[in-house]
Amino acid sequence: MTNDKSLRLIVDGSLVEFFAGDNALVALLRAGLHPSQGGCLCLAGDCPHCLATVDGVSYVRTCQVAARPGMVIKRHPSDAPPPLPVGDCPGTDIIARHIYCDVVVIGMGESGRAAAAEAQRDGKDVITLDAAAGQEVIGIYPGPLVVARTRDGMADVHPHGEIVVATGAAEIHPVAPGNHLAGIVTARAATRLAVAGIDLGRVVAIGTPPEGIAVEQAAGELVRFDGVDRVEAVVMRNENGSERKIECDTVSIGLGLCPRDALLRMGNGLAVRAVGAAARTSDIPACPRAGTVCHCAGVTVDDLESVRARGFHELELVKRATLAGTGTCQGSVCLPYIRSFLADRGESLQPPFTARPVTRQLTVGEAAASSYHQATPRTALDGEHRRLGAQMERAGGWWRPWSYGDTVGEYWAVRKGVSIGDVSTLGKMLVSGPGALELLERLYPTKVATLKPGRSRYVLLLNERGYVLDDGLICRDDKTRFTLTFTSGGSSFAELWVRDWAESWRLDVRLLNQTMSLGAINVTGPLAHELLARAGVGDPPQYLHHRTATVTGILCRVFRLSFTGEVSYELHHSVADSVTLWRRLLRLGADLGIKPHGVEALLMLRLEKGHIVVGQDTDFDSTPRRINHEWAVKLDKPDFVGRQAILRTDKVPLDRQLAGLEMEGPAPAEGALIWKGSDYVGFVTSSVFSPVLGKAVMLGWLKLLEGELPAELTIVGRPARRVPTPFYDSEGSRARA
Amino acid sequence: MNEFIERNVRLSWHAAKRSYEVVIVGGGGHGLATAYYLATRHGITDVAVLERKYIGAGNTGRNTTVIRANYGIPEAVRFYQRSLDLYASLEEETGRGITHRQKGLLWLAHSETGIRAERARAELNTAFGAGTEYVGPDEIKKICPQLDMAGGGVWPILGASYHPGGATARHDRVVWTYAEGAMQRGVHIHQRTAVTGLIMDGDRVTGVETAAGPISAGAVVSAVGGHVTALASMAGLRLPIRTHPLQAFVTNRYGLGFDPIVSSSNLLFYASQTAKGEMLLGAEIDRQPSYSYRSGHHFLQSCGHRAMTLLPFLRNLRVLRQWTGVCDMSPDYSPVMGKTGVGGFYITTGWGTWGFKAIPVGGEQMAELIATGETPDLIAPFSLDRFARDRTMADRGSAGTH
Repeated sequence: MTNDKSLRLIVDGSLVEFFAGDNALVALLRAGLHPSQGGCLCLAGDCPHCLATVDGVSYVRTCQVAARPGMVIKRHPSDAPPPLPVGDCPGTDIIARHIYCDVVVIGMGESGRAAAAEAQRDGKDVITLDAAAGQEVIGIYPGPLVVARTRDGMADVHPHGEIVVATGAAEIHPVAPGNHLAGIVTARAATRLAVAGIDLGRVVAIGTPPEGIAVEQAAGELVRFDGVDRVEAVVMRNENGSERKIECDTVSIGLGLCPRDALLRMGNGLAVRAVGAAARTSDIPACPRAGTVCHCAGVTVDDLESVRARGFHELELVKRATLAGTGTCQGSVCLPYIRSFLADRGESLQPPFTARPVTRQLTVGEAAASSYHQATPRTALDGEHRRLGAQMERAGGWWRPWSYGDTVGEYWAVRKGVSIGDVSTLGKMLVSGPGALELLERLYPTKVATLKPGRSRYVLLLNERGYVLDDGLICRDDKTRFTLTFTSGGSSFAELWVRDWAESWRLDVRLLNQTMSLGAINVTGPLAHELLARAGVGDPPQYLHHRTATVTGILCRVFRLSFTGEVSYELHHSVADSVTLWRRLLRLGADLGIKPHGVEALLMLRLEKGHIVVGQDTDFDSTPRRINHEWAVKLDKPDFVGRQAILRTDKVPLDRQLAGLEMEGPAPAEGALIWKGSDYVGFVTSSVFSPVLGKAVMLGWLKLLEGELPAELTIVGRPARRVPTPFYDSEGSRARA
Repeated sequence: MNEFIERNVRLSWHAAKRSYEVVIVGGGGHGLATAYYLATRHGITDVAVLERKYIGAGNTGRNTTVIRANYGIPEAVRFYQRSLDLYASLEEETGRGITHRQKGLLWLAHSETGIRAERARAELNTAFGAGTEYVGPDEIKKICPQLDMAGGGVWPILGASYHPGGATARHDRVVWTYAEGAMQRGVHIHQRTAVTGLIMDGDRVTGVETAAGPISAGAVVSAVGGHVTALASMAGLRLPIRTHPLQAFVTNRYGLGFDPIVSSSNLLFYASQTAKGEMLLGAEIDRQPSYSYRSGHHFLQSCGHRAMTLLPFLRNLRVLRQWTGVCDMSPDYSPVMGKTGVGGFYITTGWGTWGFKAIPVGGEQMAELIATGETPDLIAPFSLDRFARDRTMADRGSAGTH
C-alpha cells in the first residue's frame, strides 16, 4: 500500500488523504474522523453509523463506496437529519439494464460462490450480484425480479429459476450506555481496519475476538463504555456482580450473528432459497439493560420499557410506538435486541417484522431508472396544425389543435361555409369474421342486424352495470365486416373491452385497431358538398351512409354523419396521405373561405346540437336514461351487455338527468352550480355562448324535485331555463341537406 | 430525544367475554373510532373490537394519511368536512397527540380540461363548506416553491385548486388514540382474534365465530378492510366491492422544508413531507384486483419518475422503504355504510383511497346508527341499497390515489 499524494478527498471542506483501495469510511478513519461522530462500525453495510453525504447524496454508507480523488464528503448534522436539497437537482438519467438468466446468486462469500459453482455445473446460466463489488440488491419482487444498484446503473435481473440468498450474517452490535462513542467496532471490522493499516491502539475484545489482532479479552457482561466522544474504557461486570474497568482505545464487539435474511423474507412465496449464514437462525443477545437500541430513531432501552408498560406488547406495535427499526438500517441493529427485550418481558420470541424493499439505499433518480412518460400521441397532421398557428392542447389523451387563433371565425366557417377538422384521434376498429355480427349484437344496445351494408348508426357502449362507457358509430361494411369508432379518450379502453368480450364468448372474429394507422379529416359546413365535388366526389354518400371514394386522388372511406350539425363527411385514409389530403382540401376550398377548426370550435358546434361528450357530460354511473339517450337502447332485442341492469334500474324512479339549459348573457364556467331557489340541483357539464343563437347554451345535471325536472333555475346568480335539445336546428335538416 | 415515541397512550387489554352488546370486526381506524364514539357519545361500552393481527395493522397503518374534503359531490364534501373538523379537534378532545398538521393541498392542472376540472372542484367545495380556491401559477409557486412549473418540459403546471384545510395526521396515533379512549370506557379490544364465521339465527346475525370460540352479539359491525366481501358473504350479502392494492414509498429523513401536499391528476401521484421529515410519495391504485400486500418494482420506478418530473429536488433523495395496502373500491367511488338488510349486521366499507380521511366521521356516524337504530342524514346517501335503488353517488373528486 502506497501513500500517493494525489489521492485526496474533501471532508467537511478539508482535504483528506487516502490510500489506494480505501473505501470512504476507511479514508475517514485513517484521518481520525468518524463519519457520524460515533457508534459501532461494522464495515459491512449493515449499520447506520457510517452514513454521510457523498457527492451531494445523503444517507450513503461510506463503507460501501470506494474513495475517489475529489470525492466530497459532508458529515450529516449530529442533531438533525440532513437538509432537503434546494433548487433544481440536475442529474443524468440512469439506465436500467434487463438481464435474463436461470439462477441469481446474491452475495459472493464462500456459500454464494459454492451455490454459483454448483448451478453452473448443472449447466445453469448464473448471474451473481455482490455488494462488495458494488452490486447492491435493493429488493426481490414478484416476477420474480431481483433489482440491484450497480456502479453503472440499475440491473433488473429476471431469473427463470431460483434466487439464492447468500448474503451472510450481520454482527450484533452492543447495547449499553456509551455505545454512541467512536472507537467501537465489530470484530470483523476490527480485523479489516487492522489489515488496512489503521492504528487501533489498545484493543479490548468483548465476546468473539477479532482475527489476527492482539487484544485484551474482556470477560463478563458489558456494563457501559466510558469516554468523551471516543471510547476510553469499557466497564464489565463479572459473575459475582463486581465491575471492572478496562482502559482501551478500541473495543471489538463479537456478540453473535444475525442472518441478513431480509431478501429471503421479502421473497416469501417466490423461488428464493438462503444458503450459508443467511440461512441460520438469529443469535438473540442478552436482554439489554440500558443504552440506545435503535440509533436511526434514537430509541433507548428505557423507551422500550416505557411503551411496553403502556400496553404495546406486539413487536410491530413496539416498532410503531418507538419508530425503532424504521430508519435507514431498517432494524439491522435493533431488531435482535427488541426481540430479546420482549421475550425477556414475558412475551414469546416474536418473529422479525416484515421485510420490505428497499434493503439497500438508492436515490429516487436511481429508482426511476429507465422510466419514461407515456407519450401523449400526435396525429399525422400535427405539423400542419402548428404551421397554421394552432394552440395545441392535450385533450382526450392526444395533442390536438385547440384553436387556430380565431375560434369564433372557425365556428362560422362551419356554420356558413366549409371547414376541415382533424379527427384522426377517433378510435377506429375493424371487426370481421363469421362471429362479427353476433359479437356486436351482444355488445351494443342497438339492433345491429337491421343495419344494412353501407349504413352507419350512432351507438352507446355500456358496461354490465348499464353505465355508459363510450359512444361512437357502428358502420356495416358488408355481411361480416364492420367498422367501429370510439371517442378519442375512450378508444384504448374500448379496444380492451371488445377484445375481452370476443374472447369470453369464443367468437370467430378478427379485430384490427386502426386508430393509429388511419387518419381522419372531417369536411363540414353547408359548402361541404361543393368541396367534395371539387375533390372528385360528385355523388357523395347520403346521411349515415358510407362508401369508398377517391378524394383529391387519395383513397378514402367517406362517412356521412354529423357532430357539428352541418353536412359532414369524415374521410378515413392512410396516415401516410394525411398531410397531402389536408393541404389539397385547403387549396380546393380557398375561394370558399375554408378554414380549419380546432377542438374549441368543435365543442361549441356540438353543444349547440346537444351532442354529449362522454367523460365530460357523463359520469361513471350514467345510464342511457340519465343522459336522455334511451332512444339508443333497444330493450326488445335479446341480451346485450348492460341489458339486465337497465331492465332493473328502469323500474326505479329517475333521480337525476342530463338536460339542456339556456340563459341570456355570457356562458358560465363549466362546473357552475345550478340552483332552484336555495336548493342545489346540479352542475353545468358543458357551456358555451352560442354565436348563432346569441345566448348561452349548456348541458348540466339536474336532480328531479318531487319527480319533476326543475325548469326555472339559477346559475351564477342569473336566471336560466331548462330547454329541449338540440338548441339549434332541432329538425336536423342542415345535417341532412 | 425522539419526539415520536408514544409517551401518553396507555392500552389496557382484557380477557374475552362470550357475549357483547356490540361486536366490531376489524381493529383499524373505522372499527376503533366506532367503538370510541359508541362509548363517548352514546354510553355504550359493552363492546368488543376483534382484530385478526394487531390494531392498525391493515390499511389504516399503511395509508399515506392525507385528510381532505375537496370532493366532487355535495354529500361527500359535507361528510369529509365534518371529518376534517373532528380531526382538528381530536387532540383537544382526547388530550392525545395525533401529529395533526394542517398543510394545504394543491391539486395541479396541466391542460385546459384540467383547469376546468379544478375550477369546478373549487366552486362545488366552496358552496358546501370545504374551502377550496382556484389558484394560478404565481400563487402555486408561492405555496410550493419546489415545483418545476415547466413540469420537466413535459407536463407544465397551468393552474391548481388549493384546499387550505388539507392536512395530515400520524395514522398509528389516530389508531391508538381511539383505542385508548374506547378502552378507558370499558370497550374490549382483542388482537390476534380472527373472525372465521358469522353466527346466524334465521336471517339475523347474532354473533361471530373466532378461533377462540363463538362470541354472541346484539349487533355485529363489519369494519373490515380488504376481505370485506368474504365476511359479508357469510351473511349472504354480495357487495359491489373490488379490492385493489395501493402502494407508496418514503425517502429517508430530511430537514423539514416541503410544506404542502401536492397532487397531480394527469401524472397520478402525490407528495408530502412527513412530520419525521421523510418525503412520502404515492400514486394510483393497481389496476389488477388483489388482496396482496406485496410491493412492486414498477410502482417504485414509475411513481419516482413522475414525482421527479414536477419536483426535481427529489432526484438525489434516498429511498427508505416502500409498502402496499389494499383499497376496497366501490363502483361509484363513494363509501358504503349503514344497515345491510340483514338484521343485526352493519357495514362500513367501500373506503377505497379515502378511508383514513373519514375515520372520525365514519366512526361517529356508525356509532349513532347503532345506538339509535336510525341512519343519520350525513351517511344516508352512502347506504348499501343505493346500488339496488339506482341512487349511486359517482364522485369525480375521489381520485384513485389518495
